[in-house]
Amino acid sequence: MAAQLPETAYVAAGTAPPLPSLVSDRQLRAHRLGRALRLWIPAGFLILVLAMCFLWPLIYKLPSPTNGNIIEASEPPFSPGHILGTDQIGVDIFSQLVYGGRVAFEVSLAVTAIGMLIGSVIGVIAGYFGGSVDAVLSRVLDVLIAFPALVLALAISQGLGPSEFHVILALAVFSIPAFGRVTRGATLTVRAQPFMTAARLAGSNRWQILTKHVLPNIMPGVLSFSLLGIGVVIILEGALDFLGYGIPAPNPSWGSMIANGQQVLTAQPEYVLIPSIFLLITVVALNMLGDALRERWGVQ
Amino acid sequence: MALAQQIQLQGDPGARGSARRVAGSPALRLVGRRLLAFIPVLLGVTFLTFAVMSTLPNDTAQSILGLQASPSQVAALNHTLGLDQPFLERYWHWLENALQGNLGTTVTGSSVNHELGTHLPATLILLAYALVASLVLAIIVAVLAARKPNGIMDRLSLAVSMIGLSAAPYAFAFLLIIIFAVKLNWFPVISGSLGSTPVSYFRALTLPAAAIGFPLFAIYTRLLRGDLVEQMTREDYIVTAKAKGVAPWHVLTRHALRNSMFTLITVVGLNLGTLIGAVAIIETVFTVPGIGSDLLNSIMNHDVPMIEGIVLVFALLTVLGTLFADLMYAVLDPRIRYGSSTS
Amino acid sequence: MTESLLEVEELRVGFALGGRELRAVDGVSFSVNPGTTLAIIGESGSGKTVSCRAIMGLLPTGTAIRGSARLRGSELIGLTDSELRRHRGTDMAMVFQDPARSLNPTMRIGAQIAEAIRTHRQVTKAEAQAQAIELLRLVRMPAADRRFHEYPHQLSGGMRQRVMIAIALACRPKLLIADEATTALDVTTQAQIMELLLELQEQLNMALIMISHDLGLAASYADEVIVMYAGKIVEQAPASRLFGAGGAVRMRYTRALLDAIPHLERPAHTLLPIVGGRPPDPTALPPGCSFAPRCAYAEDDCRAKTPALTEHAPGHSWACWHPCENGSGMSKGGAA
Repeated sequence: MAAQLPETAYVAAGTAPPLPSLVSDRQLRAHRLGRALRLWIPAGFLILVLAMCFLWPLIYKLPSPTNGNIIEASEPPFSPGHILGTDQIGVDIFSQLVYGGRVAFEVSLAVTAIGMLIGSVIGVIAGYFGGSVDAVLSRVLDVLIAFPALVLALAISQGLGPSEFHVILALAVFSIPAFGRVTRGATLTVRAQPFMTAARLAGSNRWQILTKHVLPNIMPGVLSFSLLGIGVVIILEGALDFLGYGIPAPNPSWGSMIANGQQVLTAQPEYVLIPSIFLLITVVALNMLGDALRERWGVQ
Repeated sequence: MALAQQIQLQGDPGARGSARRVAGSPALRLVGRRLLAFIPVLLGVTFLTFAVMSTLPNDTAQSILGLQASPSQVAALNHTLGLDQPFLERYWHWLENALQGNLGTTVTGSSVNHELGTHLPATLILLAYALVASLVLAIIVAVLAARKPNGIMDRLSLAVSMIGLSAAPYAFAFLLIIIFAVKLNWFPVISGSLGSTPVSYFRALTLPAAAIGFPLFAIYTRLLRGDLVEQMTREDYIVTAKAKGVAPWHVLTRHALRNSMFTLITVVGLNLGTLIGAVAIIETVFTVPGIGSDLLNSIMNHDVPMIEGIVLVFALLTVLGTLFADLMYAVLDPRIRYGSSTS
Repeated sequence: MTESLLEVEELRVGFALGGRELRAVDGVSFSVNPGTTLAIIGESGSGKTVSCRAIMGLLPTGTAIRGSARLRGSELIGLTDSELRRHRGTDMAMVFQDPARSLNPTMRIGAQIAEAIRTHRQVTKAEAQAQAIELLRLVRMPAADRRFHEYPHQLSGGMRQRVMIAIALACRPKLLIADEATTALDVTTQAQIMELLLELQEQLNMALIMISHDLGLAASYADEVIVMYAGKIVEQAPASRLFGAGGAVRMRYTRALLDAIPHLERPAHTLLPIVGGRPPDPTALPPGCSFAPRCAYAEDDCRAKTPALTEHAPGHSWACWHPCENGSGMSKGGAA
């Protein structure tokens, strides 16, 4: 008579169960609401900002962000025709903000996209194949990360002349290794999971494993990281503009607005404050969104 | 900038690892291995800098002599400065000299060593000031926040950290100036002359240190608070401490905080090198006579030896910072210091 | 009749989990006399650990605890944390399961013991050190004065557990709760630690509550045994009434546990009579007897009505509609 193992054999186990986390029902609902708000408020804000920068000028004719009428210099906010007023040389502040925002997003999205595409490939290869491939790639990534991004960006800009394209190029050099590091780490974590061994044993070839197992699992982490990255690039790009090595004048950018405002800091601090605040809440929104997505997707 | 530092941390699984459960190797082996790993990085960074500076069209001699200079004058100066040699040779020369301690001469003729020597202290003090202040504040705030997770202090600290992480140093610097220097007149707007007395020195450096330190404070607070809360809710030795009858505050400070210091120290060390960008900008804004503002000037002048010298200093800072973190770890973590004995 | 040291009455502990209530402990009552040993036996999730942690006040804030637990007459349930802290370590103490994780890895063990002393007594550092070394000697730690300065990772599992016991005994509590204290240790060390606990119990006239899943342990060391299942007590009796000659286990679950213990006397290659199935989901307990789904002898009335814990024989209570008869009631899968 064949011995039949009961389907769920249970022998008394040893470990005490972990005590469950305590949340009362009301707290649970408040918690869920808080989570949803933390996701949708920053997301909504970002959508608004993007709409403002990219769509609004198409609908409504804004004053020129580069040429100003000196007669209209230093108008206060809410003046006719200039919602936020004008700066010392008469250029409308709001349109500078809008077009500067365009640049900020164009650059940051481009840089992040490049970083994500190229950097992730490098990172996954390094993480998945390991060994000498990993050693070499990691060293390269280390060097690139240790390399001061600012120096590189300034040098490129100074040598080749400032332009939006050069800024993107310079910052991409920083973005690629950053993504490389993150994806490598994520790939290593995924690789250590038991289901990976199972997949290999089941006979999946490398390509299948990479596309069907590794990529979907690292995606949440990479995506939430890229939101962080967009914020970083916006700040870095602003720094370049601020120093005068980014977007060439008279093209508007938030950084150059701050630099211009520096001259009249004591008299009219709002020229510095307005772009600074805009910069701040945009990056905060990106960070909050990144955090919320990380929470939602359970990334470490 | 602060975000950039966070990125550094996120990519490295080892850095944020479970600091309390690491099995250690003897301290010396660790240090030795680290040093070996860093040499290629240092070489790589300096080489890359040289490569970038050399491949980009440069007109060092031109900018020194001015626009009126004739081509032959420019060529002559280029030859004197050694700028017409192939770049690999130049790098090799630089490296040879550097290993002997001579970092070359700047385009203006002064010795790089001298320039660094006079300006480095200000930067180092500024960095130290920023680091210490942000660490101390971060510890205080994180502990108060971790005491009651999701309480008022906690939410406040998370909000402030979020702002700190997102603020651009150059923008924040101006905010500080507007509030503290202009309106309140507590601190000088320009730190150009740092003054002779320690008091005036620190007054002059406070705002720049705050500008650099605020994002650091944000990172440290977030990290520490998260680590503390995780310990208080997950670790068994915390339950033991409570079972002994120890008051919650002491459990937090005597047990949890003690263990969190590891992660914190590692992070501080790792972060060091990433500050170069922020330092450069802040020093420029506040006109602090340190090597950060030197860096920007050197780039403008295409002063390669000076740039190399400064980049080297910061790369060394990164290396030393990470090394320091590892050493501290080895010294403080009893599992590494004493190894394990089986009985 | 000696006055009992710990008197627990209708203890209920509930957590709110995802909108449902997790009733971890459902109406548990027992008493412990000074100097005696009580064994609480059960599987994971039976509520044995949670009940004791509730008494000690070590459950996360927000847990709902109802009922009464009186230690030497004073009520513990409902006290604030600072009030309970006065009892923790002094009147009652706990030893936990995993000494590797229960000791702070970056603090010397001597300091951890001294902390237990100095939390409750006003003594100088030197005095605390002396007392701590004494405690280490008490728990039979070799080279106590040297070990005082060592870190947890430098000690073996058994020694670490001795340190835990030393910490628990720092203020000579009258009640010691050992929560699976020997589960993480190897068999030899297990026996050593149990012997130690019993010696100390006698020496210090301490009551001991042993929480375990191991019925054999209860048989060897306990005076009184409680068997818990799904948050309730299903059988309760002095050890002598349950085990050994003249002993009779009544509740089917206890019987199954007993039968699952491997015996050398059984013929080789006999199938081990394990208890099939899993412990029930505490948020969705079936009506009637909680053990019914897994019981080979369950009948319709078992699934319809929950049996109450009643004292059917002097000192011996059980909760079962169809308990084992004396000596019989071997579960399926025994020797053919």
